[in-house]
Amino acid sequence: MRQHISFNLNGRPVSMDVGAHEDAVDVLRRRNLFGARESCGQGLCGCCTIKVDGVPVSGCLTLGLKLDGAEVETVEGLEREGVLDIVQQAFIDAGAFQCGFCTPGFVMMASDLLARVEAPTDEQIKDHLAGNLCRCAAYPEIIAAVRAAAEKRSAHAQV
Amino acid sequence: MLDFELRRPTSLEDALAMLDTDDPSVRPWSGGTALMLMMKSGVFEPSVLVDLTGVEEEHASIRRLEDGGTSIGALATLASLQFDPHLASEAPVLGQALPRLANVRVRNVARVGGCLAHGDPHMDLPPILACLRGLVVARKADGERRIAVEQLFAGYYETVLDPGEIITAVELPTQTGWDSVYRKTTVRTHHDWPTVGVAISLRREAGLIVESRVIVSAATEKLTRLEAVENLLAGQPSNAALFTRAGRTAAELVETIDDAQGSASYKRVLVGVEVRRALSQILEEGSGS
Repeated sequence: MRQHISFNLNGRPVSMDVGAHEDAVDVLRRRNLFGARESCGQGLCGCCTIKVDGVPVSGCLTLGLKLDGAEVETVEGLEREGVLDIVQQAFIDAGAFQCGFCTPGFVMMASDLLARVEAPTDEQIKDHLAGNLCRCAAYPEIIAAVRAAAEKRSAHAQV
Repeated sequence: MLDFELRRPTSLEDALAMLDTDDPSVRPWSGGTALMLMMKSGVFEPSVLVDLTGVEEEHASIRRLEDGGTSIGALATLASLQFDPHLASEAPVLGQALPRLANVRVRNVARVGGCLAHGDPHMDLPPILACLRGLVVARKADGERRIAVEQLFAGYYETVLDPGEIITAVELPTQTGWDSVYRKTTVRTHHDWPTVGVAISLRREAGLIVESRVIVSAATEKLTRLEAVENLLAGQPSNAALFTRAGRTAAELVETIDDAQGSASYKRVLVGVEVRRALSQILEEGSGS
């Protein structure tokens, strides 16, 4: 089965033919978006995290056909006019990665957490990111980056 | 994954009509987190998937019933169970257990109905719904029936559901007077699939255990209710000696299986430990009189 589907990708309408065998990561790669990466392919590692209708999901467990009519956001949609999002910048400032392969997934999950919880505790950060794996083990820096992003965001909000 | 057709009905009646076939390669689909893995590994090759999420508006709600019970729509996501304010007070065991079930992304899309219908004994949610004395509401083209959660499973990845029959809701009776705990042992990460899952509910009056539900999963071929342990607890005062005996009895009676999460003999020991600890935990934390 192939179907012509239409959806909003990082705020822009797109339409394309999608096969039943394609998952959401396959579909995004055909749009030249490589931030969501298939790594474990089982929903365990978080490298393929995207948001569908405002909710983070594993791209590798999402049927491409199911993107039809959806609001899809990827890590590429976070920056505004060439300026990185607060969470992205916080990851750079904290050195919250080595190889960077897992970073888009962590950034997407951290953004989701900060949209829900203004000042998360370390426990809340760890709970929310428990399904993301960093094989370079930059976990302490990742947690510091999320904490710093939360502080920066609330400082901005107070201005 | 091989080619298949994704059908997207917009009413439950249409979905049931599409599923009314003896062809096992025509299957219902909701969150898809479990089936997607089976399709990717070639274990499951569907010809047609019937996407039930088109009817989720009517079948995903969590609402209080007039008799004090709770109805959970089969298409409710695990995340919605985790954060539902009514369930937080009615069955806090759900909110306590769910953060250790898979991860945020899986909980955002996996559905209560799929979690039960999949028949995987390693799931965390079925034993909890069983100890809460839940009833599965199952519907097919020619009618509806109710099945106790503990009776739903026929074997390893097998349920008593007929071809074309789908779960539309889970009904919980009022939990007033009952205290429940779920304990899981994992051998890799904190939120991994359980090696052993033990769910226990107790109703106590004047310091005596009046009624209980003792459910074991993951260690066993299918979700298992240990009635012998419930009988041992009935009418007894809650104390450490009783809980040790209950754990020992559970370990003696349970039929465990080997799998990637551990050997049958290891799991037998764990069942005993977790039953004892679950009972102690209810005694320490429970609000029962």
